[in-house]
Amino acid sequence: MTLLANILIDGIAYGMVLFIISVGLSVTLGLMRFVNLAHGAFAMTGGYLASWFIRAQDWPFAFGAVGAVVLTGLLGMAIEALVLRRLYRMPELQQVLFTIGLSFLFVASANLLAGPEVQLIPLPPWLKDPIDLGIRTLPAQRLLVVLTGLLVMMISVLIMKYSRFGIWLRATVDNTQAASALGIPVEWVYALTFGAGAALAGLGGILGAELLPLEPYYPIKYLVLVLVVVAVGGMGSVAGSMLAALVLGTIDTASKYLASDWGSLFYFLVMALLLAWRPQGLLSPGRT
Amino acid sequence: MRIRVAPYLLIGLVGATIYFFFPAQLPLASRIATLAIFVMSLDLIVGHGGLATLGHSALYGTGAYTAGLLALHSSSNPLLGLLAGGAAGATVAALSGLFVLRYQGLTFLMLTIAVGQIIQNLASKFRAWTGGDDGLSGFTTGKILGLATFDLQGRVAFLYCTGVLLICLWMMRRLMGSTFGLACIGIHQNRLRMAALGTEIQPKLLTLYCLSGWFAGIAGALSAQVNQIVGLDTLGFELSAEALVMLVLGGAGSLFGAIAGTALFTTIHHVASNIDPYHWLFVIGAMLVCGVLIPRERWGVLMRARA
Amino acid sequence: MKITHRWLRNAAISTLALMTSVALMAPDRAQAQVKVGIIAPFSGPFAHYGALFKAGAEAYLASQGGKLAGQSVEMIYRDEGGPNPAKARTTAQELVVNDKVDYIGGVVFSPNAFALAPVITESKTPFVIFNAATSDITTKSDYYLRTSYTLWQVTVPMAQHAAKKGLKKVVTAVMDYAPGVDAENAFKSEFTKQGGQVIESIRMPLATNDFAPFAQRIKASGAQAVYVFLPGGPPNLGFVKAYQENGLRQAGIEFLGTAETDEFDLQKFGDSALGLTTAFHYSAAHDSPANKAFAAAVAKQNKDAVTNYATVGAWDGMYLIHKMIEATGGKRDGDKAMAAAKTQKWDSPRGPVAMDPATRHITQNVYLRVVEKGPGNLLVNKEVQSFGQHGDHGLGK
Repeated sequence: MTLLANILIDGIAYGMVLFIISVGLSVTLGLMRFVNLAHGAFAMTGGYLASWFIRAQDWPFAFGAVGAVVLTGLLGMAIEALVLRRLYRMPELQQVLFTIGLSFLFVASANLLAGPEVQLIPLPPWLKDPIDLGIRTLPAQRLLVVLTGLLVMMISVLIMKYSRFGIWLRATVDNTQAASALGIPVEWVYALTFGAGAALAGLGGILGAELLPLEPYYPIKYLVLVLVVVAVGGMGSVAGSMLAALVLGTIDTASKYLASDWGSLFYFLVMALLLAWRPQGLLSPGRT
Repeated sequence: MRIRVAPYLLIGLVGATIYFFFPAQLPLASRIATLAIFVMSLDLIVGHGGLATLGHSALYGTGAYTAGLLALHSSSNPLLGLLAGGAAGATVAALSGLFVLRYQGLTFLMLTIAVGQIIQNLASKFRAWTGGDDGLSGFTTGKILGLATFDLQGRVAFLYCTGVLLICLWMMRRLMGSTFGLACIGIHQNRLRMAALGTEIQPKLLTLYCLSGWFAGIAGALSAQVNQIVGLDTLGFELSAEALVMLVLGGAGSLFGAIAGTALFTTIHHVASNIDPYHWLFVIGAMLVCGVLIPRERWGVLMRARA
Repeated sequence: MKITHRWLRNAAISTLALMTSVALMAPDRAQAQVKVGIIAPFSGPFAHYGALFKAGAEAYLASQGGKLAGQSVEMIYRDEGGPNPAKARTTAQELVVNDKVDYIGGVVFSPNAFALAPVITESKTPFVIFNAATSDITTKSDYYLRTSYTLWQVTVPMAQHAAKKGLKKVVTAVMDYAPGVDAENAFKSEFTKQGGQVIESIRMPLATNDFAPFAQRIKASGAQAVYVFLPGGPPNLGFVKAYQENGLRQAGIEFLGTAETDEFDLQKFGDSALGLTTAFHYSAAHDSPANKAFAAAVAKQNKDAVTNYATVGAWDGMYLIHKMIEATGGKRDGDKAMAAAKTQKWDSPRGPVAMDPATRHITQNVYLRVVEKGPGNLLVNKEVQSFGQHGDHGLGK
């Protein structure tokens, strides 16, 4: 029984980190139909900025994290407006090529600016202490990740369903020209959505820094991980990403507890089976 | 008649130039030739079949390990090794293709990644057979056609790889020029229409995938024989991604594009890495980004402007 | 397929690319008398190894006044990347055939080291391994030398120490790759020989990000101590953090490690690392004049470089190359060089060392270290005990 509880607790904590990092990609891929393999680069940027703010500039943790997330979002918007806009009409393979090249540039820049070492984000004492859950302890930082994940999901769903921006977004995705004709500022919608995706990635990079260490090779190392969550969850579906991340995170954790010498074999096996069962993703948003 | 042999002559000419005037680059050229076969096999399924895959290295690595194991335990005849590698690649392609070819687009892509990772994890687990991450080594490659052994300068390896490249190129061109090849291109362009015309989609795609696996396996076997070691990286995601990048760089859909892309990418990687081992990623990244942003037509303008 | 303009352009571009780059690569360096090729990762996730090898090697060269045995030496650095044996072989081939190096040094990953065997045997080029730690490597060719360590070498004394301490039940947790498996086998074999029991052997996949499950498994195993081996970098950080955060120390499970408190990442652990015990062959806090001179030389070369097992592996490797140059008078003679190298004994920054002529691996002191606060409030691996000289126990197993 303790084993099951352990698997669930660690699995959910790990899955939440995956969710926060991946949800931005699900949004851009599903809603904007743009294959952005440089998504991990934004996660890394968020983490690096936070590390610099908190460690080198001595900002308090919350300030540093928020600042880094905002800056990453702005960077995403800038890149979208200046560069990525031209790629929307290009075939998918070109988008893949470009974003891989962009990833490489981010990796090389990180190596140039900060060296090959792992960047640490110092946690404030209230995050470092373990919290007693009764059956076992869990570091407070993991609990924060879980709560943040739930918050992110709630806010995304609320925005999409009930806010004007959400309506604009859905209209733009359904039919860009008609939306534009109706007076919706589609350019801004695209830029803001991409920026939001980048900001979320940055947040994931910061919160996940304990599990996925921040080093120059980050975007390439964790690319497959993120793609898997998005594909299994369903492009464009925030709830799907959450479900996929939790399921996959738990499977990965279970495999570590029970059959660790098989490596990540079961993770990919389950992933393949889930995709085969639901090719559109666990919870596709209803659109093809 | 003249046009038809021109490409082979060109490759032969380039090869001869390297052999006689730039013997220092023979190992690099051998590597390019081996990778070119792999990327061409990728082109069959990506460029002609229209199915983007990131798990192709599974077929390459399977061929490599098969050739290595054959040389280690049974026969070190290189041609036999090539055939065995090709057969292994085709078999794995057939088995995985039965599953993954039912899907398209992103789903297909992710499934190929999954299959690739599963195979790599299996190879790592059964380290008694594969040597695990130390790699499979200790085997030698026998004489080719009873003629020559591999030398340190890499001359024999180079001739061997170039020969196999030319043969594979010829075979692939014949295949894609046949009615079968044209049917595959048709499926790529419009599946619905081909089905309406009475073409059976799944068997055609499966055959294409198996053929692609055959050539990928041969490329892997070649690599195993020339290097006399097979590592887990031959089954890795990085190799699949690099191959896709090389293909798109040279132009998917064209076998010569595949060769050109491989040569370009590998050479630039090699040069940049020698000049500055720390920061060569800048060069590659910039190349990819510019290559996409500046459309192909503009390259011609730029080149002419420079001349 | 039609021969179109596009095709012709592709072909022309590829030919041009090859030609131009080849022309660019034509070496036009001044004629040095001795050439040493260093293969190390300078890019990718293990790039810090390359920087440390370079710092150690260049520092040694500088400490000898820029010349070794009166010969001017040219160092040629090539990127190893990651574990990619085919690429390593090609790189070594090019170094030997094109650059005509007299000695090769470096290599972090064991598969890459294995791949070089045919090249160095045929060209009779002595190859000094600065890191790759699988015992078997040196058996594959007569031209391998190693100045780093092997897992058997440092683990056997740890197992003996554990038994002497009175520990009866230990669980091993290693990264699931060749050196890790070596470590697990070494500990199991020696500890059971000493009368102890390894109650569980946990293998952690290389791609592990989250070590909490493993920490929980260790806690649940009921062992008195956990013997650990992980490669340097992020996995070290992740595991030690998991050890702390999941309360293993409070649960009374001792930490018996190897390279996890490596100086490269040591300061990042913070105070939570205090008290961690490891058995290893080099600590930057080793108190000897040779070590102080070494640290000073490296700092002069690159003030950001730490002195750890990688740096000292390169330093001692260059010492060996120095002696080989001395023995051959700067001429290329692989067999003479190897004969001289095999009998070397010297005072290394890590302590007294000697080359074992049978295994061509370095025999050295293995120390028991504990993490403590040192001068300047920095964390150091304080050597509390020396297990004496150990060779490579792993050959023939």
